Amino acid sequence: MHVLLCEDDDLIASGICAGLTAQGLTVDRVANAGAARAMLQAAQFDVMILDLGLPDEDGLKLLRRLRQQGIDLPVLVLTARDAVTDRVDGLQAGADDYLLKPFDLRELAARLHTLLRRVAGRAVNVIEHGPLRYDPSSCEATLAGQSVDLSRREQALLQALLQNPGRVLSSEQLKDCVYGFSDEVESNALNVHIHHLRRKLGNSIVETVRGLGYRLGPAQAPEDSAS
Amino acid sequence: MSLRVRLSLILGSAFIIIWVLAAAWMLRDLRQQMMFSLDQRLVASARMVAGLIDQLPPLTAKGEEAHFSADQFSVPDGMACQVTSLRGEILASNHKHDGAMDDQQSGFRDQTIDGALWRTFTYNHGDVRITTADRHMEREALNQSILLAASAPVLMALLGSLGLVWIGLGKGLEPLNRMRDALRRRRADSVEPLQVSGLPSELQPLLETQNQLFLRIGQALERERRLTDDAAHELRSPLTAIKTHLQVARMTDGAVREQALEHAEQGADRMHRTLEQLLMLARVEGSLSFEDGVQCSAEQVARQAVQDAGGGDNRRIVLRLPEEATQIYLGMPAPLAVAALRNLLDNALRHGGDSEVELEVQMAAGQVGFMVRDHGPGIAEGDLQHLTERFWRHGQSGGCGLGLAIVQAIVQRCAGSLKFDSRSDGLRVLLQVPARSGH
Repeated sequence: MHVLLCEDDDLIASGICAGLTAQGLTVDRVANAGAARAMLQAAQFDVMILDLGLPDEDGLKLLRRLRQQGIDLPVLVLTARDAVTDRVDGLQAGADDYLLKPFDLRELAARLHTLLRRVAGRAVNVIEHGPLRYDPSSCEATLAGQSVDLSRREQALLQALLQNPGRVLSSEQLKDCVYGFSDEVESNALNVHIHHLRRKLGNSIVETVRGLGYRLGPAQAPEDSAS
Repeated sequence: MSLRVRLSLILGSAFIIIWVLAAAWMLRDLRQQMMFSLDQRLVASARMVAGLIDQLPPLTAKGEEAHFSADQFSVPDGMACQVTSLRGEILASNHKHDGAMDDQQSGFRDQTIDGALWRTFTYNHGDVRITTADRHMEREALNQSILLAASAPVLMALLGSLGLVWIGLGKGLEPLNRMRDALRRRRADSVEPLQVSGLPSELQPLLETQNQLFLRIGQALERERRLTDDAAHELRSPLTAIKTHLQVARMTDGAVREQALEHAEQGADRMHRTLEQLLMLARVEGSLSFEDGVQCSAEQVARQAVQDAGGGDNRRIVLRLPEEATQIYLGMPAPLAVAALRNLLDNALRHGGDSEVELEVQMAAGQVGFMVRDHGPGIAEGDLQHLTERFWRHGQSGGCGLGLAIVQAIVQRCAGSLKFDSRSDGLRVLLQVPARSGH
């Protein structure tokens, strides 16, 4: 999951980044509304965490403007202000969820997963794809009941594909999801992870669409992949 | 008791008293006039009888049969008439009772004849005495009927005016009632202005004052709410940082963990600073005493503040002390003076870039001035007014937004002054505090 964190407090931001990364999410952080807008133009994000007290613009104003531009990215609002009117204002401005500081990092991650799940129209967190089961919140994957051990990057890659079934994702989009915007990525690093994923979940799990990118393919039973 | 009932009772009683007195006066006059008229009637009747007697053939003074018929005199009904000779012989009478009227004295008399009270008038005319009379009882009956006839309109007028007073007061007090209803409809915690239309000019100022009061209370509440909101924000942010990094430390290991723990510690330091500042502000604004009995000279205060400033990193501060600074004592508790000056120095260090910060102690009549000057970019004109607001922060500075609010509170408490002068070559802040007299 590729998360855009918009938070001006360096200390809090570094904590959230470290915490979410440790839970298998890919996080890009910006410190003000201008940078957030630029970032949303430049890369693909699954969800945004928005702090309301930004130095250059009120977070709610930014949110309203994004919604007016038709950007329907799920947004979780993060704030230390707990008046009911603040919360109502936040939700009316187009926030999908609301978390009050201080919060628990696990709760934050769980809420982010729930937001994505709702966007995908699923009632439960676990994504099922043929014999493959993947739980984004615990990052556990099973294939025909057998647990599959995936690295953090592989999890992010698999999740990006599972969340966009049938869609062709460019290698840039996949890189955004796996590494985040700011990470330095070697040119063939993505190919390495795709290769690993194919080895663990079957060759057809990632279909290559020549000239365009990659697409989710059918998961196959382990014995097929072994052959 | 409502205002309407109260006013109605007062006005009603006054009306009743005035009307009753007027009516009593009128009835007394009426009675007198009536009695006078009835007396005049007795007189007129007697004269008329006298005139009639003159037209009759002359009386044979000694004739026994020389009786008139009283009916010839045609005196009015209810009136008795008696004609007697000077010797006392009754010549004529329409008086059917046995007793004769005493007519020894001429003029008006009240006398009792056959148990009834009569009003008589005796008139000497030649050789006869003519006496006319009517009953007091009849006079009283007439009087009663006139009294009844006269008092009915008076009573009606009185009742009518009482009713009009009641209705008129109700109409007149209606604006007050509207105001009362408008007040009654409000929620107890509402600070919305009161909307009552068509108020008279006496009530208009009341409404306006009331609404201004509501407005000010509303603003004060809003300010208070924002303040607690800001305080919550300032305390929750470092708390969030601490909690988040502790959780990260629990999830990770190695260098990441060390880093997280270090960050958590930074958050704790920030929270500690904010709490200290908040407590300081509360103490300065409260009535707590800072007087420790130790007298501090301007020099000691300046040196102590420089020493405390920047968390001990005070190498950039240049202190300029005039010689007499050791001799001048401050007219305020030393801890407050040091705290105020240290906050100014901290700000200058924080916003003044890497260049040096100058602290100059100036002496003026009865005042000690501490001029803190940095060489930073200064502050926009529009921001100057926000400087001493609580939790106002200039851009991304690391402070908690309370320093200058504390200085302002100290200045207000100790009758000093705080002036800002922002130029392109840096911000100058002049803190003036009263010097102790007698040194």
